[in-house]
Amino acid sequence: MIAFDHVGKRYRAIVGRDVRALEDFTLELHAGEVFGLAGPNGAGKTTLIALLLGFLGPSEGSVRIAGLEPRRYAEAHGIGYLSELVSIPPMWRTEEALRRYAQLAGVPAGRVRSRVSEVIEWMGLGEHRRKRVKQLSKGNLQRLGLAQSLLCEERVVVLDEPTHGLDPVWTQRFRDVVTALRREDRVILIASHNLDELSRLADRVGIIDRGRLQRVVDVRTGAERTVGEATSYRVTIARGAELVALVFPAARPMGRGEFALEGLTLDAVNAGLAELLARGALVRAVYPAHTMLEQQFREVVAARGAE
Amino acid sequence: MSEARRTRVGAYAAWQLRDYAKDRGLPTLIVSMLTGYLGLGPMLQEMPSRTARVSPTLLARFGSADAVYAARMAEFNQVFLHGVLGTLVFVGALFAMNGIVSNDRKQGYYRFLFAKPVTPSRYYGQAFVVHWAGFVGVMVLLALGYGAVIWPVLSRPLLVAIASMFVAYSGIAFLLSAAARWDWLSLVAVSVVATLLWARFGESAHPLARLLYLLPPLHRADEVYAWAAAPAHAADAALALPWPILLWLTGYGAACFLAGLVVLRYRRLAIV
Repeated sequence: MIAFDHVGKRYRAIVGRDVRALEDFTLELHAGEVFGLAGPNGAGKTTLIALLLGFLGPSEGSVRIAGLEPRRYAEAHGIGYLSELVSIPPMWRTEEALRRYAQLAGVPAGRVRSRVSEVIEWMGLGEHRRKRVKQLSKGNLQRLGLAQSLLCEERVVVLDEPTHGLDPVWTQRFRDVVTALRREDRVILIASHNLDELSRLADRVGIIDRGRLQRVVDVRTGAERTVGEATSYRVTIARGAELVALVFPAARPMGRGEFALEGLTLDAVNAGLAELLARGALVRAVYPAHTMLEQQFREVVAARGAE
Repeated sequence: MSEARRTRVGAYAAWQLRDYAKDRGLPTLIVSMLTGYLGLGPMLQEMPSRTARVSPTLLARFGSADAVYAARMAEFNQVFLHGVLGTLVFVGALFAMNGIVSNDRKQGYYRFLFAKPVTPSRYYGQAFVVHWAGFVGVMVLLALGYGAVIWPVLSRPLLVAIASMFVAYSGIAFLLSAAARWDWLSLVAVSVVATLLWARFGESAHPLARLLYLLPPLHRADEVYAWAAAPAHAADAALALPWPILLWLTGYGAACFLAGLVVLRYRRLAIV
C-alpha cells in the first residue's frame, strides 16, 4: 500500500554542506498492518513522514501510496495524520477546530456535528469543547490533535509521537484507540521514541538511524526467537535475597531486593528461579531488562558508536 | 482502493469569511476610520457650513444655496477620496493578504489542513476570493457610514476602483505569500521599488527600460483613484474611465494571483 523506493532526501544549504536527511530508504508497508518507526533524534523520522504526506518531495527515489504520488493521494483520499507538534490556531475552540477539520476532511454536512461529538467523547475532551486551543494543556492538545486525525475513516493513518504529553491513563487508552483503528484495508504508521509502546502496538518496527533504515524488526515472531537467546533479566526478591548469589553467582544487586542477571537464556533463568523457590525464596517479579525491540535498538545505536 | 472523497472546501468559505472579519476586516475598518478621521478633521474645519452665507456670484451660478452646498460637498469628497483611497486600498490589501499562505506554513497549520483531501491552490485561491469580497464589504460599510455622516459617496466607479485596485495589490501580495516568508515586507518593497523605478526611468528610451514592464504600474494607480473620486456629474474629459491603466493594474494583479496558484500547486508546503 505504501512503498518507499530508494528514497533519498537532501536539504540544500546556501552556505556549507548539504544535509542528508534520508539515504537509500526502501520499505513497503502493507494494508492491515501497524508499522512502528523508531530512531534517535535527528534520525530522519520526521522527514520520512513529511515525504509520506507530500509536504516534502524526495531528492532521489520515489514514494507511492496505492500507486499515487503522496500529495495526489492525500488530496484525493486524505490521510489521518497526527504531527509531532500539534499546530492549531490558538484562538480556535476545541469543537470549532474539529468542525472545521471535519468539513475539510469531507465528513457529510449532516454528519459533522455527530461525528465531532463522537471523537470529542472518544478522546475525553467533553469538558474542554468550548475552550480555546491556547487554553488547553499539553496532554489535551495532544488529544485534540489525535481527535482530528480520527474524524474520517482514512485508509492511511500516520501518528508521529502520538503519546507525547499524554498521562499514563491516556497512554493506555491510546493503545485501545490503535486496536480499534486496526482494519484489514488500513495501514497505520506510528513514529515514536517509546520502544515499549511500539513493541506493544506494532507488527513490525523499522529502526532508522542517520537517514538509513538500519533494520526491520518483526515484533511478533521476534518475541519467539528470543527464547533461546542469552539476554539480561531483572529479578526482584521479596524474601531470601541472600540466596540469589548462591544460585546466580554473577547476579548484580540493584537495591530494594532487585538483582540484574546478565547473559542468561530463558531456560537458565527458569532453572535458577526453580532452585531459588525450592530453597525458600519468595520471588516478586522477573522481567527482561530490555524488550527485544530495545535490544535491537541498542545494537543499532551501539554500532554507530563503534564506527 | 476507495473512491476519492468529496472535500467540502466550498462550504469552508464561511469559516474563511469569519476569519477575515475577525482577524483582518475589523482592523481594516478601524485603521480606515482613523485614517479617514485624521484626513477629514482639518478639511471639515475649513469647509463653510450649510447655513453660511453664499456669495451672489455662486448663487447666480448654481441657482440655490443648497445647490452651492452640494457642489462644495462634491468637490470636498473628490479631494478627500482622491487623497485617501490609495492608502485605504493598499492598507486593506496588506491586512487581507499578510501571511495568507506563509503564516500557515510558518506556524505549521498546513500539516492538519493538507493531510485532509484538500488542494492548497483551491484552499488559498478560495481564501483570496473570500478576502476580496470581505474587503469590498468593509469598504461599502465605510462608504455608507461616510454617507450617513458627511455626504453620500457610494458609487459604481468607487466600487470598481476599490475592487480592481484590491486585486492589483493583493494579487502581488498573494504571489509573495505563496513564494516567500516575509510577504508584507516584500509587498511594501515591491510597491516602493516599482513606483520609484517607474517614476525615474518610465520615460527613458533605453532598451533596458522595457524591463520596467515586469514591474506593476503602481505609479499610475492615482489615475484610477482620481477617476473614482470624481463627482458623478463630472464631464471633464480628463477624468474619463482610464480603462487601459485599470486593466493593466488589475491584469497584473490577477496574473500574479494565478502565478501564486501555480506556485501552490507545485511547491512543497514544508518549511525546512
